[in-house]
This record gives sequence, C-alpha cells and structure tokens, in this order.
Amino acid sequence: MVESPRSGSWSRQLLLRIRRGLFASPLDTLITVVLVVVCGGGLWNLLHWAVLQADWAVVLENVRLYFNGNFPVSQIWRSWSWLGLLAALCILTLMPSKVVPPAVVRLLPLLWVLILPIGLLLLASGLGLEPVKSRFWGGLQLSLLLTLGTILMALPLGILMALARRSELPLLRWLTTGYIELMRGMPLIAVLFFGQLMIPLFLPEGWTLNRVLRAVVSLGFFMAAYMAEDVRGGLQSIPKTQLEAARSLGLSPLLTVALVELPQALRTALPALANQCVASLQNTSLLAYLGLIELLGISRSILANPDYLGHHLEVYIWLALLYWAVCILMTSLAHRVERTLNVTGHH
Amino acid sequence: MASSTAPSPQSTSGAQPGDTLSAVLELAVCSQGLEKIFPNGFQALRKVDLAVGKGEVVVIMGPSGSGKSTLIRTFNGLETIQGGHLEVLGYHLDADNSQKVVSKIRRHVGMVFQSFNLFPHLSILENVTLAPIWVQKRDRQTVKKDALALLDHVGIREQAHKYPSQLSGGQQQRVAIARALALSPQLMLFDEPTSALDPEKVKEVLETIRALAAEGMTMVVVTHEVGFAREVADRVVFMDEGMIVEEASPQTFFTDPKEERSQLFLSRIL
Repeated sequence: MVESPRSGSWSRQLLLRIRRGLFASPLDTLITVVLVVVCGGGLWNLLHWAVLQADWAVVLENVRLYFNGNFPVSQIWRSWSWLGLLAALCILTLMPSKVVPPAVVRLLPLLWVLILPIGLLLLASGLGLEPVKSRFWGGLQLSLLLTLGTILMALPLGILMALARRSELPLLRWLTTGYIELMRGMPLIAVLFFGQLMIPLFLPEGWTLNRVLRAVVSLGFFMAAYMAEDVRGGLQSIPKTQLEAARSLGLSPLLTVALVELPQALRTALPALANQCVASLQNTSLLAYLGLIELLGISRSILANPDYLGHHLEVYIWLALLYWAVCILMTSLAHRVERTLNVTGHH
Repeated sequence: MASSTAPSPQSTSGAQPGDTLSAVLELAVCSQGLEKIFPNGFQALRKVDLAVGKGEVVVIMGPSGSGKSTLIRTFNGLETIQGGHLEVLGYHLDADNSQKVVSKIRRHVGMVFQSFNLFPHLSILENVTLAPIWVQKRDRQTVKKDALALLDHVGIREQAHKYPSQLSGGQQQRVAIARALALSPQLMLFDEPTSALDPEKVKEVLETIRALAAEGMTMVVVTHEVGFAREVADRVVFMDEGMIVEEASPQTFFTDPKEERSQLFLSRIL
C-alpha cells in the first residue's frame, strides 16, 4: 500500500502512524508489548493505590506547613507574597520574547538577583515588619531561599575561581586549584557539618551567623568549586585567536576577560551550570539532617505526628512531585536563557 | 580615513621625538637585527632588517614557515622579540615589551587575521564599536555613526545587526577590516587575509584592501596573491627561513628576481 501522508481520514492516518511507529517489525511489536505490560501494570497499581487506598489527609491538612513551614500564621501573608513574587518572576521569564518588551527582558537578570534580598526582607523583618526568627522559616519557601542564595553566591565565586585557576600568579593558582580539588573530594554532608560547626569559629568575636546563612555559605562554597570547573571548561573552549584579536584591538587583559572571554565561556558552560543549579535544589534536602525544617525537614516532622502514623508513602510521593515540579521549572528557565542567548549569538 | 599626521612619540620613555631614527626618516616601522626565538628553541626570525615608510604598502611573500606572520606579529607586540631593535610608529619595543608601550602601539596599529577572528557573541556593529567604546572611551552614539559609515565603506552596512556566523567568509573579513579601521590606525597589518577564503570571495576582500591603499594607508601585507602584490605593493619583501632574502619593487621582483631562492619560489607559484 502506498502510504501518502495526505491520503485517507485522520483516524486512518493515526492508525498508520501507530503501526509504523510501534509495530513496524516483530521485534518492535515485542518491545512495545513488553513495555506496555511492565509500565502499564506499574502505573495501574500506583493509580489503584493512590485513589482507593492512600489517605491524602497527611498532605491536604498540612499544605501550609509544606509551603511556609512554621511561619507565624499572623504573618503568613509575607511568606505567600514572596512565593508569589517568585512565581510571577518565573512566568515573566518564561513568557515568549515577542510578548515581553525588550526593556523588561534586560531587567530580568537584575530582578533575579533582587528577589533574594526582597525575600530576606519580607521573611526576616525590615520595612517596619515584625521580626520573624529564621528558625520559623521552613518548607518549600526555605528550600527555594537556600537554593537561590546558594546559586547567587556560587556563580560569581565559581567564575572568580575559574579565572584564578589560570592566573599567572602561582600562589593564587595553587591555592584555587587546591581548594577546588579539596571541595570536590569531600561529600557535601561533611561540608555542611563542618560549615555549621566551624563557621562560628572563623567569625570575629561577637559576630553570629544564623543557621540558614551558615547553610547557604557552606552550600555556596561547595557548589562554587563545581561551577568553577564548568566555567573553566567554557574558558578553555575559546580559541586563542579570539584573545589575539582582542589584544590587537588594544583591549586590556581585564576588558578581554569581561567583554570577550566570559560572555563566550558562560554561553558554553550554560547547560552544565544549569545542571548545577538543579543539583543545588536537591542538595538543600540534606539540611534536613542538620535540623533545618526545609521541605524534607518539615515533612519528617509532619510524619512524626502520631496522627499520620504509617503514611510515609503519601508524603514522599507528594514530596517527589513537588521537587520534580520545581526542577522542571528550573530546567525550563535554563532553556529559556539558552534560547535567548543563542538568538543573539552564534549557531 | 588614512591619517597622515605624524605619530606623537613624546610619551615613549626618555626618547625625544627628533631623536628616533624612524621620526627622522618618516618611518612607520623600523627593525634592525630582529631576532625571534620561540620557547621551544625554534628561531623564527634571524637578524631581520626592515623599514616601512609612512604611506608605503609593503607585501611580504615567502614559503610557509618562513617567518612572515611572526614578523608582522612582532609589530603590534603579539610576539615578543628576543634580540635586535624594533620601532613602531616611534615607540620602542624590546625583549621585555612593557605592557604600557604595547597597548599604546595597539591603539594605532590595526591587524587583520587569516581566520577573521570576529567575536561570535557580538553583532557585526558591536564587533566594530567594541574597541572605540572601551579602549578609546569615545561617545557611543558617535562611535556607532562612524562604525556604520565604515561598514558602508566595506559594503556590509545592511548586515550590521547580523552575527558573524550569518555572514560569508568574505563578508566576515571585510567586517574584520572595518573593525581594525574603527580605531583610526596609522598602520595596518594583514596576516594572509585571503588564505582562508573561497576563491570567489578573495576578490571582494582584495578590492577593499586595494581601496585602502589608494587612500594612502601604510600597510604591511603578508599574502600569496601575486596579482595583488604586483598592482598594489610599493615594495615586495621575500622571506625564507626567518631571513629577508630579497627586497625589490614588484616589477623587478616578479620579472627579474636576483636571488636563487626567490627564483625557485616564483617558479613554483607563478
């Protein structure tokens, strides 16, 4: 039979397409059948459990805790408004470039940097608001705060270390290389414990740093080592001829780095850096073991309530969905940045 | 476009403008006994003496590996020299090129490379305005106007907002020429500007360089294009194994070369 894509009704075409895509040969048919039986069976069992057996009260009754942690109920609007601002910024970033005026697009990086101090102001105190101690911060709100803080600290630090690693000053080069290798050789949980216990020792007398900030600093120093390696890869991919062109135009070494090397290196490193950002979110869950009640921490404390005894599965499936949703969001944000840069760049 | 004003060598350390040999003789480049030894021990230049007068077009030819490119790369400090004396636009360059002198020279010397070396992340216009804005610190609007005029001059104005990868090789090389000219250089260096181009694109780039020569720009051009050398060069310099073998007017060089090595080279390419 001649298979012209335009012949016959749409249902016929669909059938044809299914047959060609899934049952083209005996082997294809076998693979299709096995996959459908295995995945379908699993999915069926999961659905059966989720609808008929699971008790979702443990999730539904605690939505506030998952999102805002133990934030004082009278002040909860502050927590919600920060999450709302963050969501609005995500939507603004993801909107098609035709809809958003270019002036706003240029402002986006600044807004993403500002959203962190805005969050700290809203959550902690300031602007005449009642102070809320950081031990009342929790849930998804704390996870996102930790992730944002980590990224905003690790990215500039990583760029600086990538540059220092190829510096002409041997001491600087050795120190950075040593630092990066040390950090990459340590498990994150150890770094986090060190951070909680040792950062206070390094601070001047009378200074204190609360647990959340200590966590951000430890996570930031850890991620910076990985990001430095990604940026270094980007720097290495720039042909030497680019530097010669920059030098022969009279650009100083500093201007060459800022105007020619870094813009190209960061573009190349972007997929790897985006990957580190997603990992940063996952990494914040380790802080549940250091007493922070971020998303995983608050869930563990909910599960400790005797009312919800034995409902681990519901909670962890809900958690998986939440983390997954945020990761998907971060990935699409990264794709968005990549596309924007490529429109105004090579390829 | 070509500036015929004398360079101001006052700022070089110690030397008075009248003192320098090149100022007396109106030279753009003056090298004596130039030596270049690479860190791996390879000697690329052996006692090269070369003088380029202001407004002169010098074409350097020679087999690959003869040191042609290395020679012109010493003129803007892309290669350090290990011995001899080198003066470019009145500035002295020596074995330990001070960053200050080199950056001064680079503001007055434009260079065009074999592989164009445009910045891929910047638009054509941004490629041309980058150095005037950041190195010369000139006003953005004026720079932009001048850059568009330059792009018009090399026939790329319509593409000003495209990116290098969207242009053909010949167009990219013409943008590279405009980018170098944007700093109003007193000397232009061309390092095999047409070697990486498709044959049908060679002509448009040579036309641009030819027009520049007609305006009186001082130029040193490394090329294998005999036709171009014959028509445009005031002088042809033939190099082999890091030495200048023969220097002559194009007529003499192409019809009646004196040295055996020149004759052999010409017999292979003509």
